[in-house]
Amino acid sequence: MNLAVRVGAVRLANPIMAASGTFGFGPEYQGLVNIARLGGIAVKGVSPGPWPGNPPPRVWETEGGMLNSIGLQNPGVEVFCREDLPFLRTTKTRVVVNVIGRTIDEYCQVVERLEAESGIDALELNISCPNIKEGGMSFGQDPEHAAQVTRAVRACTKRPLWVKLSPNVADPGAIAAAVERVGADAISAINTVVGMAIDVKRRRPALGGISGGLSGPAIKPIALRVVYQVAQSVSIPIVGMGGIRSVEDVVEFLMAGASAVMVGTATFAEPGTMEAIIEELPGYLARLEVSSVHELIGAALPGR
Amino acid sequence: MESPRVSRYRIVSRMEKAKDHVELILEAPVLARAVPGQFVHVRTPGTLRRPISFSRLNPVRGEAGLLFQVVGPGTAWLAGREQGDWLDVLGPLGQGFPRPEPDRPWCLVGGGVGIPPLYAALTAWQNDVTASIDAILGARSQDYLIMLEDFGAQIDHPIAVTTDDGSVGAQGTVLGPLAHWHARHPTGQVYACGPMPMLAAVARLMQTSGVAYLALEQRMGCGVGACLACVVMANGPEGPLWRRVCHDGPVFRAEELIWS
Ligand SMILES: Cc1cc2nc3c(=O)[nH]c(=O)nc-3n(C[C@H](O)[C@H](O)[C@H](O)COP(=O)(O)OP(=O)(O)OC[C@H]3O[C@@H](n4cnc5c(N)ncnc54)[C@H](O)[C@@H]3O)c2cc1C
Ligand SMILES: Cc1cc2nc3c(=O)[nH]c(=O)nc-3n(C[C@H](O)[C@H](O)[C@H](O)COP(=O)(O)O)c2cc1C
Ligand code: FES
Repeated sequence: MNLAVRVGAVRLANPIMAASGTFGFGPEYQGLVNIARLGGIAVKGVSPGPWPGNPPPRVWETEGGMLNSIGLQNPGVEVFCREDLPFLRTTKTRVVVNVIGRTIDEYCQVVERLEAESGIDALELNISCPNIKEGGMSFGQDPEHAAQVTRAVRACTKRPLWVKLSPNVADPGAIAAAVERVGADAISAINTVVGMAIDVKRRRPALGGISGGLSGPAIKPIALRVVYQVAQSVSIPIVGMGGIRSVEDVVEFLMAGASAVMVGTATFAEPGTMEAIIEELPGYLARLEVSSVHELIGAALPGR
Repeated sequence: MESPRVSRYRIVSRMEKAKDHVELILEAPVLARAVPGQFVHVRTPGTLRRPISFSRLNPVRGEAGLLFQVVGPGTAWLAGREQGDWLDVLGPLGQGFPRPEPDRPWCLVGGGVGIPPLYAALTAWQNDVTASIDAILGARSQDYLIMLEDFGAQIDHPIAVTTDDGSVGAQGTVLGPLAHWHARHPTGQVYACGPMPMLAAVARLMQTSGVAYLALEQRMGCGVGACLACVVMANGPEGPLWRRVCHDGPVFRAEELIWS
């Protein structure tokens, strides 16, 4: 059974990757997850300098999912290159660096600093960050700003450039089309869905960051709809994610138009989730009477 | 140190320890070699695992205990487990207590469900400590006081007990007896676990002299250091920084932490 897929120029041994922010910088799950078996890993978002993140509590369990308000805490690109990249270079899997910034300049600073470094297979722009020059609304809110940041970053690098969409927008297809026009190589979708919870014991918002991002099975239908819509709006490949726990979930994303997927929240409860899916995928494909992952990509799209 | 793994362990006994408090003993030779103060992440229905400290570690019998208070759906589900059932556990996790210094008076200070890891520490190291060993246990009321008999079976002199309502022991918090102990043993070593305000007060009290190790709680995602959910503010070489309770802790030296 052929599990290999391509996301543009990036070839993955199988379509299962770890989602940004849920797998640290790689070594944290050593001994629990065999990284070499994964299709790839997306590391925690990296900014030009250190970001402190939000006050705790930073996570809160909800029905069928969880909220997080980590606030993109990370040590900055310099420390990342010095302390985390050496380990990532030794891994036998694809490494995707998730990039964050509060201005277009900041995104470019990170990407330019990474240019000198080996061991990076793709960049994933997280455009859900607050755009401080435009009053804190995220870059991902409208096609114009999403295209501006993507165009600027495109000019700094030849590396495969994936743009990660926020689902908290009216028309994700339009945003995907806008970033495709200015040179994005793939679309990652989706980031978390904005939400909140109240801690009745404290009579306060449950999260230190007040609102947070919903992830886990609860958002899978939202994610599938975004992937399905984006697949009809662009011709570049899609990396799908949102609530994936099982091989059947993966196949749903493939059929909706994703070429590969990422698993995030499910790893917290079951660190073995990704490897279990990779294990089960050949049998599942055989039952569907296909001989490669490739045959399923977009199978549920209109006209297929 | 045992590296963490996901495994299933059989419950060999289940005990009601106090109102809403249950202890499960697992047949788990690997976990039984953990360090007191370390914890496990237990699979319960729902999105996230539940962090629980070891209440007992018996490497000879290959048994590890988990003692918890029922506070929500996860712990309620755990309390419904019976002898012979299996638990899905990720662990052992985190940095436990250090081995106590043999010649420093040692005081174990537990509040509520903070008491169990101190019992694990006591039984692991009491024979190593030649100086005096004391325990101070606090609870909301008599109904909620756990492990007094367990401690009593190990320590041959009276154990200080406090309750918020005075239903058993002295009315008040563990701070009263601890201040007393500290005055008599200014260079002593304190191991404490309990609610954050209690730990903050222990840290303040121990600022002048002696050493204190505190076992903290924080809401967790992964439990292995990957998600940065479980942070507390600590002193770093270049100013304050967040440290992860699951990976850098749960046990910290009092002066490492910054209290808001
Ligand atoms: C390192 C560590 C060790 C612990 N050891 C023990 C122990 O030995 N005995 C014991 O009774 N309790 C212990 N706790 C607290 C225990 O984890 C919570 O009481 C439990 O997770 C509550 O789950 P629930 O579903 O019943 O409650 P809910 O309040 O419904 O839980 C909702 C969510 O909040 C989290 N949560 C709730 N309270 C806490 C808390 N105090 N700390 C961290 N997360 C929390 C839960 O894990 C879950 O994700 C420990 C916590 C930590 C971090
Ligand atoms: C704790 C946590 C931290 C995250 N951090 C990031 C991040 O730094 N950058 C990013 O692009 N996405 C981040 N995400 C979003 C995930 O990568 C993923 O898009 C989302 O959680 C949906 O997938 P899931 O339901 O499988 O978790 C984070 C998610 C979680 C739960
Ligand atoms: S719980 Fe994920 S870093 Fe501590």
